[in-house]
Amino acid sequence: MKKSLIILLVVCLAAATMFVSCKKEAKAEAKPATKIGFVVINDESDQGYTWNFMNGMTAAMEKLKAEGYNVELVVKRNTTESAICKDYNIELADEGCKIIFNNSYGFEPYMLEAAKEYPDVKFVGMTNCGGQVDNNPNTYNAFASIYEGRYIAGVAAGMKLNQLLSEGKIKAPVVGYVGAFSFAEVISGMSGYFLGIRSVCPSATMKVYFVGTWGDATLEEAAAKALIDQGCVMISQHSDTTSPALAAQKAGVFHTGYNTDMTHAAPDASLISCRINWEPYFYTFIKNYLDGKDNTPDYTGTLAEGAVAVTELNEKIAAPGTKAKLAEVEADLKSGKIKVFDLSKFTIQGKEGTNEAMYDSFAAVQGNATYGGEFHESEFQSAPYFVGNIDGIEWLNAAY
Amino acid sequence: MKEVKTPLIRLAKRDGIDPRKAWAIRIGSIFVALILGMIPIMLAGQNPFVSYGVIVNGALGKASYIRQTVKRAIPLLGCALAIAPCFKMRFWNIGAEGQITMGAIFASYFAIHLGPKGVPAFLMFIIMCLAGALGGAIWGFIPGFFKAKYNTNETLFTLMMNYIAIGIVRWLQGGPWEGRPGTQIIPMFTENARLPNVFGIYCGWIVVLIMVVLVHIYMNFTKHGYEVAVIGDSENTARYAGMNVGWIMMRTMILSGAICGIVGWMLVSGANGTLNSDVAGGVGFTAITVAWLSQLNSFAMIAIAMMLAIIGKGSATLQTKLDVPASVAEIVSGILLFCMLACEFFINYRIIFRHKKEAEV
Repeated sequence: MKKSLIILLVVCLAAATMFVSCKKEAKAEAKPATKIGFVVINDESDQGYTWNFMNGMTAAMEKLKAEGYNVELVVKRNTTESAICKDYNIELADEGCKIIFNNSYGFEPYMLEAAKEYPDVKFVGMTNCGGQVDNNPNTYNAFASIYEGRYIAGVAAGMKLNQLLSEGKIKAPVVGYVGAFSFAEVISGMSGYFLGIRSVCPSATMKVYFVGTWGDATLEEAAAKALIDQGCVMISQHSDTTSPALAAQKAGVFHTGYNTDMTHAAPDASLISCRINWEPYFYTFIKNYLDGKDNTPDYTGTLAEGAVAVTELNEKIAAPGTKAKLAEVEADLKSGKIKVFDLSKFTIQGKEGTNEAMYDSFAAVQGNATYGGEFHESEFQSAPYFVGNIDGIEWLNAAY
Repeated sequence: MKEVKTPLIRLAKRDGIDPRKAWAIRIGSIFVALILGMIPIMLAGQNPFVSYGVIVNGALGKASYIRQTVKRAIPLLGCALAIAPCFKMRFWNIGAEGQITMGAIFASYFAIHLGPKGVPAFLMFIIMCLAGALGGAIWGFIPGFFKAKYNTNETLFTLMMNYIAIGIVRWLQGGPWEGRPGTQIIPMFTENARLPNVFGIYCGWIVVLIMVVLVHIYMNFTKHGYEVAVIGDSENTARYAGMNVGWIMMRTMILSGAICGIVGWMLVSGANGTLNSDVAGGVGFTAITVAWLSQLNSFAMIAIAMMLAIIGKGSATLQTKLDVPASVAEIVSGILLFCMLACEFFINYRIIFRHKKEAEV
């Protein structure tokens, strides 16, 4: 037995030397590429949040490469919102990454710590708001006015509810919303969605269930089921996986998604999804960096510039006329004819919303966003700050 | 005469083994592990030799890599030191995870309440260290007490205590200590509640190295350490010698918990900068391997903790550099640990094949 072990070892060593010599030959003499780091919360298999980010990044990288820029992407997947995130940022900086993007809200505090140690590296905290105010010139924020996209998805959902009502298939237009955490990003999104529904189906109400995590397929599914059990006939979500869509499909109710076209997962339930198109941001940021130009410390992508989009409407199940209506709404949102947070369209505890009741006092940047008959979301900072508790939306739990 | 069927393989306890032979087996086991570890790497479509090179280089190749590696080793070493006395006593404390978390909670309480008041850093250092030790000690004392009084199963008891501690952090994260409502995030501690860096690494490494010496002295040169060893060998002997076994168990668990609590304090105050439910992050379990592999020798723990940290950091680099999924690297380190633990078995036992036996007869 010993003999065979020794032989095995010798073989391995021989193979090792062979491989090493091969490696030396293969080493190409090329100018090293500029490394771009990306710390992401899940991996592409979520088919939702991270998948959407990765698609945007891959497209941007391809576009840059096609233009002759020598760039290389390094990704850290399945990152938890803990000290691990800081380690990953440090690791990427150590690997020589010049720009490091972080794609989850909870990464930012850890990212900012790492940023202090690497002043030459640019750190971008996406969806959060601390980087722009921390006095560190190498930290940035970015998000998009996704409430516009949610509004459009809401219109599609509202039209479907109207159809179901007129056909007598449902008694009450109750919508269920699976939310991750009960803070501004989610509240702003679900309010935009609800106002979209209300714009076509004024009798609609909405129940929200918070799961307390960004992406947990099991919890999201359980939440969707609980909502359906409570009479919700339309499910939407601010969470990272497709499991709410699957739950809707199983229960025979309808669904609108987030981040990605979910019709492949739930062809008989998912009407449409809204998503952020990250490609323009990644492309511009990296290009500016490579060209030696600086980037804005806080970027808000909008519907008008194509950073917010809806996926293709599932016309097989959508109410008749939805497509034309959505095109109209989209044009009106772009032109400013429709304002998502139009003060005349909603109330808070029976009264018109005040800035105090709607503006998140924990947002990094404070200001009066309530003027001109409208609440101006994403004007002072890209990260959402609308936290108004709109009448008609019922929070089933607010522990998260 | 009726023929007795001898099994193909039999095991016999070795009386003693030449230390050189023991080390040969240990080193051999690492080689076996490295060879087995090539399988998952190759399945992931990578060259195993290049991958191993990346692991070592990724952990030790640059000063900043080494800093990150040491950062990983600190809690492993601290926690292994904590559970060593328990294991010596054959008290299976697998609740280090919870004791770390509890220490982290107690320390965080002061960071959150005293930190913003501008208490000087050195005072915060002492207060948080003591608070951490107290939190861990309480969490260790509870199962120790029940074991001593009611002979409860300490393995299950300590394990279950982990989940309670983690649950408490979850509640604090979403409740009283939450920063921005709805985010489930406790804000970063103020500067005075953070550990200073020494050579670019938070000063926890100095604390654990001091603890290595203290635990070594405690285990080998004190009456307490002797009592622990006697109970480990035979509880009845200890009783016969007039030792208060119950009290010694409680005392050892308090000590073990307190050291874990100190680790918890160092994690929140040093590595993390705040408290979250991942604070222990599996350290309490991995440290069991560290303690076991080093045969409860505190100095050997330094080497083993570093080794595991090297694998951990190296695996992470493997993911960044070669795009090998981190899980593949985890499989490799799993194989390595398995082989290293298994080799202790071959050091203690001898394998006898059937034909050998026949030859003897």
